[in-house]
Amino acid sequence: MTSDKQVLNSSLDKVMLINNLCKSFGDRHILINFNLELIRGESVVVLGKSGSGKSVLIKCVIGLLRPDKGSIKIFGKNIPDLNHDELDQVRAKIGFLFQSNALYDSMTVRENLEFPLRRHWIEVSQEEVDKMVEDALEDVGLRHTIDMMPVELSGGMRKRVALARTLILKPEIILYDEPTTGLDTITSKEIIELMIEIQEKYNTSSLIISHDMNCVRMASDRVVMLMDGRCYANDTYENLIKSEDPKIKMFFE
Amino acid sequence: MSLRSDFTAFLNGNGELFSFSLRFFRHGLNPPFEFAEFIKQCYVIGYKSLPLIGLTAFIMGIVLTMQLRPSMADYGVESQLPAIVAIAVVREVGPVITALIFAGKIGSSIGAELGSMKVTEQIDAMEVSGTNPFKYLVVTRVLACTLMLPVLVMLGDAISLYGAYLGVNIHTNTSFNLFWTQVFDNLVFGDVLPAFIKSFFFGFAVGIIGCYKGYNSSRGTEGVGLSANSAVVVSSVMIFIIDLLAVQVTNIFDY
Amino acid sequence: MAKRLVNNVRLGAFVMAGLLFLVLLLYMIGRNRSLFGSNYILKARFENVQGLVPGNNVRYSGIQSGTVKTIEIVNDTSIEVSMLIDTKMEDIIRKDAIVSIGSDGLVGNKVVNIIPGEIHDDLAKEGDVLVSKNPIDTESILKTLSKTNNDVAEIVSGLKVTVERINNSTALWSILSEESLPEDLRQSAANIRKATSRAGLMADDLHVIVSDLKSGKGSAGILLRDTSFANNLNQAVLKMRQLSTNADKLSLQMTTLISGIQNDLNSGKGAASTILKDTSVVNKLNTSLDNIQRGTDGFNQNMEALKKSFLLRGYFKRQEKKRASSNP
Repeated sequence: MTSDKQVLNSSLDKVMLINNLCKSFGDRHILINFNLELIRGESVVVLGKSGSGKSVLIKCVIGLLRPDKGSIKIFGKNIPDLNHDELDQVRAKIGFLFQSNALYDSMTVRENLEFPLRRHWIEVSQEEVDKMVEDALEDVGLRHTIDMMPVELSGGMRKRVALARTLILKPEIILYDEPTTGLDTITSKEIIELMIEIQEKYNTSSLIISHDMNCVRMASDRVVMLMDGRCYANDTYENLIKSEDPKIKMFFE
Repeated sequence: MSLRSDFTAFLNGNGELFSFSLRFFRHGLNPPFEFAEFIKQCYVIGYKSLPLIGLTAFIMGIVLTMQLRPSMADYGVESQLPAIVAIAVVREVGPVITALIFAGKIGSSIGAELGSMKVTEQIDAMEVSGTNPFKYLVVTRVLACTLMLPVLVMLGDAISLYGAYLGVNIHTNTSFNLFWTQVFDNLVFGDVLPAFIKSFFFGFAVGIIGCYKGYNSSRGTEGVGLSANSAVVVSSVMIFIIDLLAVQVTNIFDY
Repeated sequence: MAKRLVNNVRLGAFVMAGLLFLVLLLYMIGRNRSLFGSNYILKARFENVQGLVPGNNVRYSGIQSGTVKTIEIVNDTSIEVSMLIDTKMEDIIRKDAIVSIGSDGLVGNKVVNIIPGEIHDDLAKEGDVLVSKNPIDTESILKTLSKTNNDVAEIVSGLKVTVERINNSTALWSILSEESLPEDLRQSAANIRKATSRAGLMADDLHVIVSDLKSGKGSAGILLRDTSFANNLNQAVLKMRQLSTNADKLSLQMTTLISGIQNDLNSGKGAASTILKDTSVVNKLNTSLDNIQRGTDGFNQNMEALKKSFLLRGYFKRQEKKRASSNP
């Protein structure tokens, strides 16, 4: 299935293309000439140890961090070159699921979901907003929590609400930052299944940052291994698991 | 060596705070304005602080009156008690006490709120959602603090003076009218206006320091507590520094 | 949504309340400083303004009626004070009003006092310079005080001499230290009282007789026809006159005695004062004096009545002759 897709889309539908990305904080070189491409409908997992620069990568992609060198092209636009308004336009098409969910504590679930909607499409009517909020919550199966505060929800529910919030803008790319961190095995499995379901339903591309092997196994079309700031391996899960390279084997044991 | 590095860190903090303030003006003066959030913050910061400020101001009025009475009586000018209390309250006690209570309540809550938003990536989430978090969080809060504190100070003054009226009446029987006549007869514009103007600066200091500390909170829950705490400490010290400057400036203008 | 609206209303009320108090405060201060409302300027010149500053109150006969606007030095000996006076005072303050500088209490703010003048001059107009009275400053008060002190010292030394003289006078002391004097005085006072009460009784009796006489009928009329009785009566009246002169003398003596006691009392020492401290004695003396007064009044009345009765005697005699001639 994966290979079919790759052939089908070949070079014409690369939604994201990262070239020679470098980022360092002082003397610490986090990313060194990192390359990555993401094709429409594809799901790529970036695998790496803690502190290997996975989060830095994803923050560069969304424009929260500015890379030192290199280009990040999303829908053909180089993120570091964009001004604020252009960046917002691109961001409206990208969903970002934060590691800590980043639900606004002072707002109800409804307000949390309304927030990005109102920010990006100011002319939407109240009825449409209500409908979109309800639909997004329906997708994650948490319709009943609509008027609750984030603190009243469990960890898994919060993750789902956060996912609903990223979905509400119907993004073309979803960036997942450690989606299963802090969740128990069963809940994380549910979340991964939900991710796959959403991807199929809306035909989105996903860039998943993770070190959770379950996540890698279930959700990935392709795995990119990030090691010492460089792209160490770039292959399917099935191929990597057969690899004899000790550094790769380290992850799959 | 450590002293030197402490000093460097202090200067660095000052510089960062200053550039943070400049950023506030740069963002605050350019549209779009987060008007709805600003109103909400005004409600939270101003209206919700009124009971606390009112209570402390009321007690302050009574206590100040009772503390001053013996000395005034010794000098045989007990009848001047309303006047002296009014001047003390309007010029100094009202603005400073209100600002300190305000720093304790609002400075810490802003520091903690923004700190935890920073730590749980809510600020990043806002940015990703097409919102300028600086405008949405910092500008609205700092503006609300700057504009609400003077209002609180005025109300605090009024409540303090009412407390003073009750305090005067513990020993003597002064009519409400006489009390207020004495108060207004002895106040001049030079008492009210500088106090009113400096309370804007107090409000700005509390807001900007709370936001700065929260916005630059280091990771982890410990960092949140630390930023809340240092927001209160720094803004309280700042209030006194501004007060010192204000008295110098008002003296220059011969008020 | 409804909640947000309520919150906004609360916020609005809160802000309005704060600003309202500020405006009230500024307005009240402004009103006290005569910044609002119409007013006009009057001026006065002083040699010394005693630390008066712009903004100090101006009072007309003690009523707040304006504030000091400016204080300017005209030349080395005079300072011009311009005062903002409320327009409502325009019909009241006249050109001859006198301006002075005083202070509000001993340590209070300086105030300008305007007092109405003696003659009813024209009303003062905008910019008029009023007559000023230079203020009494503390220095001049101190000067006066030191003069007063000197006078007091002189008086005290004079008093000292007098007291020494009194102390040296043996005669006065012997009188004052006489132990029996109070007892004697008390006795004489009692005697006087007895005498006067008797005189009073007698006068009452006489009064009855005379009134009977006046009625001119009944037994009194019959008695009066008796000439021997008339002679007796004449003698009685003579004796009465004697008695009255005696009483007159007595009262004179009493007066001197009393003035003597008065002197003793004023000097405040010795036996005389001990009597006078005894309030009962004083009371008794008072009643005695009252009685004497009443007695002498009675005497006067009686004398009048008796004069009339002498006339009556001629009248009665003529009546008798008439009757004698008609009855052959």
